[in-house]
Amino acid sequence: MTGGLELRALGKRFGGVVAADDVNMSVPPGRITGLIGPNGAGKTTIVNLVTGMLSVSSGSILFDGRDITHAPAHAIARAGLARTFQNIRLMPEASILDNVMVGFHRHETSGLLAALLRLPAAARETRAMRDRAMALIGRFGLAALADHPAGGLSYGHQRRVEIMRALATDPRLILLDEPVAGMNDVESAEMAEVIRGLAAEGRAILLIEHDMRFVTGLCAHVYALDGGRLIAEGSARAVLSDPVVIEAYLGSPLDA
Amino acid sequence: MASLYNAWGPILDLYLLQLGFAFSQYLVLRAGVFSLATAALAAIGAYTAGILAVKHGVHPALGILAGTGMGTAAALVLSWPLARLRGVYQAIATLAFVQIVLSLNIWAEGLTGGAMGLMNIPRVVGTPGLLAAAVAVTYIIWAIGRTRIGRTFDVIRENEAVAVSLGVSVPRWQALAFALSGAIAGLFGALEAFHSYALDPNIFGFSFLIATLSYVVFGGRKSVLGPLVGTAVLILLPELARPLAENRVLVYGLLLILVINFLPRGVADTLLDAWHRRRLARRSAAAAEALR
Ligand SMILES: Nc1ncnc2c1ncn2[C@@H]1O[C@H](COP(=O)(O)OP(=O)(O)OP(=O)(O)O)[C@@H](O)[C@H]1O
Ligand SMILES: [Mg+2]
Repeated sequence: MTGGLELRALGKRFGGVVAADDVNMSVPPGRITGLIGPNGAGKTTIVNLVTGMLSVSSGSILFDGRDITHAPAHAIARAGLARTFQNIRLMPEASILDNVMVGFHRHETSGLLAALLRLPAAARETRAMRDRAMALIGRFGLAALADHPAGGLSYGHQRRVEIMRALATDPRLILLDEPVAGMNDVESAEMAEVIRGLAAEGRAILLIEHDMRFVTGLCAHVYALDGGRLIAEGSARAVLSDPVVIEAYLGSPLDA
Repeated sequence: MASLYNAWGPILDLYLLQLGFAFSQYLVLRAGVFSLATAALAAIGAYTAGILAVKHGVHPALGILAGTGMGTAAALVLSWPLARLRGVYQAIATLAFVQIVLSLNIWAEGLTGGAMGLMNIPRVVGTPGLLAAAVAVTYIIWAIGRTRIGRTFDVIRENEAVAVSLGVSVPRWQALAFALSGAIAGLFGALEAFHSYALDPNIFGFSFLIATLSYVVFGGRKSVLGPLVGTAVLILLPELARPLAENRVLVYGLLLILVINFLPRGVADTLLDAWHRRRLARRSAAAAEALR
């Protein structure tokens, strides 16, 4: 296996609740891998386990061939793994620009003393990061709003800021937890283009989404989760027509 | 001019000293650490400098350096157990630390002068020295806000999970905030020692803690202007009327309750935000006009 994310017999228990049970998955670079499942299936738990925000109960996690099962969360992020949050988490009073600039943290190298005294090196770095953040914001079509507080933006725009912040880390793997929830059709079509572009750049992408049309349109390979266990995997079409998957969603229409 | 200085000089000195303590408190809050240890760290700096000068005849410049160093070291040691705690538990733990330092100061009578205080410290620091230190610290706080240190502190304070997901090692950055806060507290504690002949352990007690916290909460926790404005208003206010001065802690307490309820971001930050919003609105209006 070359590169990407690899979950091996991953397990997580919260007291009596089994939130992940014997999960085997791979998320290769350059492709969009889908993860679906009804509410409470354990999708966000997988993201939290991979990013080190929850401790793993059993099994292991490999990233680009490296075992990161028990690595601290900040080290996992520095290794090139980024995520967005299902419940949007921005600095609401800070501007879009400031929200995106913090994403560059792992690329900032100016010395502490230089930063404390704002020596030219540190001032230059801040200017460079601001330029890179503005370029990213421009790519997402929000340049005119760059100085506006993020908390006042529409839901769709806030989700974009979250993705920009994650992209600022320049990740090799990005975990998107319901990136188009609450977006209208136009916004979600734009987001699909963005995500496709990220995969084309060679990044590995794990996409969690309830919108099945969105998943079928984007994902090369889909995993379905229910009660912490994988119940199906394969092409989007095959997984969505699998009776076990339909059963898990309790007959709610999976119009793909 | 001379009479003006005679009347306002002591208040200016008081302001410059308190400003340092306010910035020490500001830094930890900015990085999301709810520490109240500034009082104790200032005491450590003050007594280090005072004892070195009185008992060992050490040169004041070295004493100030040692006070700053001891403040930094104590803060670094304290940051280690504190990293395991959050929010109100950090406040309680640092409150206990303030109490311990206070008790040690009274107990170690032979070294610190105990409850009687430490006497005969040479008064070698005047307004120019305080002004230089205050300007330097103000510059550093301003610089922090414009470099990666400020950005990192801000994201930790706003949302720790986000900070971690971006690769921030929270304990390390909070230890940095703590060390800087300790350095500033230690420096201004040492300056206080060389500015006032004598040290009394009780000046670094509960009312000190309430005052420094008030400066920051009243002025604002975000911009560098917050502590500058908050300290100025709260130092000048008691000068306006004797009853206010006699009930300083009470007045600060009441003001805190009012500000927390009606201007939770502090006076300076609220005004700056309003100004920023107006500028954005005007720019948007101009852009809309141009499109027409
Ligand atoms: N920190 C936690 N402590 C205890 N139980 C938890 C915790 N996090 C998640 N769970 C439980 O684990 C199970 C899976 O939750 P998870 O959030 O991963 O589901 P999900 O698939 O993301 O659902 P949704 O589609 O609603 O976002 C749920 O039963 C949830 O209550
Ligand atoms: Mg979820």
